[in-house]
Amino acid sequence: MIRLLAALFACLTVSVVLVVAIINRSLPEGNLPAQVAERLPETGVSHAVTAVLLDFRSYDTLLEVAVLLVAVVVAMALREAQPDGPDRMGLANPLLRAVVSWLLPLMLLVAAYLLWAGSSMPGGAFQAGAVLAAAGVLLRLAGVGFNWMEHPMRLRVVLAAGLAVFVAVGTGCLIAGRAFLDYPPKFAGSLILFIECAVTLSIALALVSLLQLAPPQEDGPLLPERRRRFRK
Amino acid sequence: MNPLPWLVVLPLMTALVIFLLPTRWRAPGSLLAAVFLSLISIYTLVEVIRLGILVHALAGYAAPLGIRLRADGFTAVMAVLTALVTMFCAVQAAAYLRGKPEEEGFWPLLWFMWAALNSIWLSTDLFNLYVGVELLGLTAVGLVALSGNAQSLAAAMRYLLAALLGSLSYLIGVALIYGELGSLALSDLALHGIGLPTVLIALVMMTFGLVLKTALFPLHGWLPPAHGGALTPVSALLSALVIKASLYILMRLWMTLDVAVLPVYLAWILGLMGSGAVLWGGWMALRQNRLKHLVAYSTVAQVGYLFLFFPLVTGTAATAAVLAWDATMLMLISHALAKAGMFLAAGNLVFAIGSPRIADLAGVCRFRPFSLLSFGVAGVSLAGLPPSGGFNAKWLLLQSTLASGQWVWLPVLFIGGLLSAAYVIKVLGHSFIEGPLRDHFRTPPLTQEFSAFILASASLVLGFVSQVPLTWLRIGGPFAGGG
Repeated sequence: MIRLLAALFACLTVSVVLVVAIINRSLPEGNLPAQVAERLPETGVSHAVTAVLLDFRSYDTLLEVAVLLVAVVVAMALREAQPDGPDRMGLANPLLRAVVSWLLPLMLLVAAYLLWAGSSMPGGAFQAGAVLAAAGVLLRLAGVGFNWMEHPMRLRVVLAAGLAVFVAVGTGCLIAGRAFLDYPPKFAGSLILFIECAVTLSIALALVSLLQLAPPQEDGPLLPERRRRFRK
Repeated sequence: MNPLPWLVVLPLMTALVIFLLPTRWRAPGSLLAAVFLSLISIYTLVEVIRLGILVHALAGYAAPLGIRLRADGFTAVMAVLTALVTMFCAVQAAAYLRGKPEEEGFWPLLWFMWAALNSIWLSTDLFNLYVGVELLGLTAVGLVALSGNAQSLAAAMRYLLAALLGSLSYLIGVALIYGELGSLALSDLALHGIGLPTVLIALVMMTFGLVLKTALFPLHGWLPPAHGGALTPVSALLSALVIKASLYILMRLWMTLDVAVLPVYLAWILGLMGSGAVLWGGWMALRQNRLKHLVAYSTVAQVGYLFLFFPLVTGTAATAAVLAWDATMLMLISHALAKAGMFLAAGNLVFAIGSPRIADLAGVCRFRPFSLLSFGVAGVSLAGLPPSGGFNAKWLLLQSTLASGQWVWLPVLFIGGLLSAAYVIKVLGHSFIEGPLRDHFRTPPLTQEFSAFILASASLVLGFVSQVPLTWLRIGGPFAGGG
């Protein structure tokens, strides 16, 4: 009870302080949006958000992609430590299977469109990856086995591909005598699209494997063959 | 060739390669790459000494639009310190983890951690620092959780929640500052100062977040179970480096803003929390009956000294401020070395006696004197006994206290020193008890014992050559001309 009251008090205080901070806000002096608009032509894409994410502040995005990969690495390590149980994720529902088989091509199309549209409209690798991952989750729920994911090396290569391509492109610029991630203007647009393609795949697979790696329910008999599945 | 981007690129690349390698190649591959990265870190330091501040505009855009990497003396020394500590923790881990199931996850996470640390040391951008902190925090939580038993999972969960709350609080501060100043570059923050109430609130939010991540008393509750329960090399890395990252950001933030206009009361709150940490952490360390938890509480105590920096540089005379800077820098380095050495030594002792309890150490002095020596040497530096880096740091801190007239901190320094001597002697005392109980102890591999000893004795050697790193640390720093 005391903990609850203390937490409530802390929440209220922080809220009040933040409201005070926002009321007292003066107008920003910087003109970053204007600067972004001014230098947009150099980036090879025509949408400001994509330009910020993959050119102006591409280093932040690169580290974010690394964060996602770390999450999967940790999940894999923790999965090892958990006891194994039966796979109960698939629902034996014929209706779901039928709907998924209708939805799946559409979702793939939407993911590809979002990826492509990212350079000129809202969209991009993270959105496309999320849609692709949703398709994977639906498949998983419909009971479709992901046998190709059982191969640890294949899984790892696709998981690492996004960050690897990102770092490789950045390092390529560095070796060519430019700054890290400073794309040559001629290829900037295609390099960004290339990075986004790889990142989309990795993000989608990372999200699906987080679901796949969730510990099984506790009831039910142990299936020892599921253990050490992700081990080499 | 500018080494700055390589400090982040190389560990990221290695992390990817290690992730794709089969488990048995992960340790040798990591050690090989660690040598390369250490050489690049040393090269960075040499270049900073030779040329002064180094910068690298990422993606080819200047500061407010793009992100800039920058290395001054502080950055370069932190990079070299990271390399030194990580290198020997990796050497220890290669022997310690061989054949254990944790080996597979440890090596890629170690490399992501190194990349995150270097990205934080080099960053000059508030949001980029947030991303670095997120990467570091998630990696550290993952490393704590590696053991996979119920205790360490609970500790990791607690750590994760504390780290997320800290990140969130920091991010709110960053958002407020961006809304107010329209820029995320640290250099722009310096130009504007904190005249506006919103910036002050943002500073308080960011400070809270960073202090929580540094485990300053009374927000330290997550640290002892996380650091005490983790695998030995993980405890060493976490105590020596990871908690320093959030402190580093806080110091950068504080020193970037004009010290003269900073709110003195905020600095005093930090100083008082630091004093509380020294006393409470020392007392709790003395009361522990598990060896690694004693060392973890000692981290809580030692972090406290580092926070005396803030009241001693805010609104005080220049001489006191310079002394406080030197003292804190030296304390930071010697604590990182001594604590890493002490955790590794404690891990070796736990391995030798096969029990985490201090009471079971009886008789270990006769059979495993080398592990005990490393523990004792690290203890000398932590307790601030001469000749050690810890002693010089406390001596400078004492002088700064006198020069600034802030007598309040004097008893803290004295009692804190006594408490740390007491908990080190408690461990040594138990190991000297001649029990009739047992004469069989396991022998840790020699590389494990040597990595503990090298780190511990480095903190001792620092006592003889303190002036050298202090000169480097001043390059491009706020007190470049002082001292």
